[in-house]
Amino acid sequence: MKGRGRHSRRRSLSAGGRTAALLVAGGLVAAGAGAAGLALTRHPDVPVAAALQVLPAPTGQIEAVPTEGAAQVAEPVSLVIPSIGVSTSLVHLGLTSSGALQVPPTTSVAGWYAGSPRPGSIGSAVIAGHIDSVAGPGVFFRLSQLQRGARVYVRRADGTLAVFEVTDVHMYAKDAFPTTAVYGAVPDPELRLITCGGTFDYSTRSYLSNTVVFATEVS
Amino acid sequence: MRLTRFARRIILLAALPLLLLAIPVASVAAASAATGAAAGTGWIRLAHLSPNTPAVDVYLYSFGDASAQIVLHHVAYGTVSPYEQVPAGDYTVAMRAAGAVSTSAAVISASVDVAAGHAYTVAGLGPESGLRLQVLDDQLTTPPGKALVRIIQASLKQSVVSVTWGSDQLQGSLKFGAVSSYQTVSAGTGTLTVSGGGDNATASVPLAAGTVHTLVVLDGANGLQIDNLLDAAGSGVAPAGGAATGLGGMAPRAPSSPLPWLAAIGAGLLLATAGGLRLHSRRAAAPAAAGRHQRVPAARS
Repeated sequence: MKGRGRHSRRRSLSAGGRTAALLVAGGLVAAGAGAAGLALTRHPDVPVAAALQVLPAPTGQIEAVPTEGAAQVAEPVSLVIPSIGVSTSLVHLGLTSSGALQVPPTTSVAGWYAGSPRPGSIGSAVIAGHIDSVAGPGVFFRLSQLQRGARVYVRRADGTLAVFEVTDVHMYAKDAFPTTAVYGAVPDPELRLITCGGTFDYSTRSYLSNTVVFATEVS
Repeated sequence: MRLTRFARRIILLAALPLLLLAIPVASVAAASAATGAAAGTGWIRLAHLSPNTPAVDVYLYSFGDASAQIVLHHVAYGTVSPYEQVPAGDYTVAMRAAGAVSTSAAVISASVDVAAGHAYTVAGLGPESGLRLQVLDDQLTTPPGKALVRIIQASLKQSVVSVTWGSDQLQGSLKFGAVSSYQTVSAGTGTLTVSGGGDNATASVPLAAGTVHTLVVLDGANGLQIDNLLDAAGSGVAPAGGAATGLGGMAPRAPSSPLPWLAAIGAGLLLATAGGLRLHSRRAAAPAAAGRHQRVPAARS
């Protein structure tokens, strides 16, 4: 057998035979590599963010829940959500020329809609922030992970704190956004936190839904 | 036969994990449905607006409960409590003389059906001799860019008052114990004037867009007094639609195109086939050429 093998090999070790063998070997390697590559790249690639860093609760004078809407409370300057590691200053947001909510100019800071009541006064205060940038997580990346009962702290320009407790977390399709539930009048001091969520539409480069967290001030 | 059995086995093997997947998916769906349904709350506040009725203790009971959910002690004339957020449902409001035992008979009581997303004021109105508990439905929807105002006339000394807001007359003659309907006013700060008999009161009142106010006319220490209650507030102008707060950096990326890999597989198979065919034809031709090329005599058995 060995002798035959050697003879056969010697016979086929001519130039044409070598080419043919190379073709077969090379072809199989190429096909194998193609199959392996195809198999390994079939699942969606989900980016992973850095681990969550839970924060300590802020300290300072906690402003009591208002009994009457007499005096204007101070404007909000920063927001801390310890359970999801959010600590951000607050910019002011207005409306775009088409009447939509302006969004913060960077993805690392949140903004208070200045047309909404001030957090801690009677009414529905609204704060919005980006879930992500083009390359990584944004300030409200973990907003949808908030649990009922989680504490949200807003520090105001006079140094006092307004403390809120999460009552609900909802996701709404943007083309069916519940404007009244989010921006409508309420008789107690409440807060809404808004970011994007759901499916990302690559053709329009935007998320199809918004995550909205509802919270009520606690004394 | 073999193929059919094999095919059946494959189908069963594929179906089993799908069935197991269905259980957690169903429970997650049920859980998220429950989360959505749990949030059915409304708001309720309590008011003492009877000038010659002494201070009272006000009790709020969830209908049928023996012990009160909320108790406000020593509520005097002119007091309107802040709104309490309560689960939607039926409630009973009872007023007792301040300091009276909680088991004593109520001076007056009323039932309130709190609907989710709605607010109510339960007010003691009228003279002491004709005290009544009135349940008011409180408005929470404001026209864009405007404010809503209503007036409660709780002055006994001036039995009929008129109310003007700037140059607009809001109420020509409002009787003692009456509650006006809501009126839409332009947002801004203006002078509110309440006149009755020989008495009047004025107040500079800011009415912001998107707010709802109840103005209470009271017998103050020095005559007519106006209390401006901010009932509710929202955005004066609500943004249109949702918020564009995402750029997609953390969104799952779709699998890359399979075409390059398929092309590699196809090309590789073509090359291998070509090579294989060449080898095959060479082996077939080898015996004929063997006589010319072989150096060592073949030892084929």
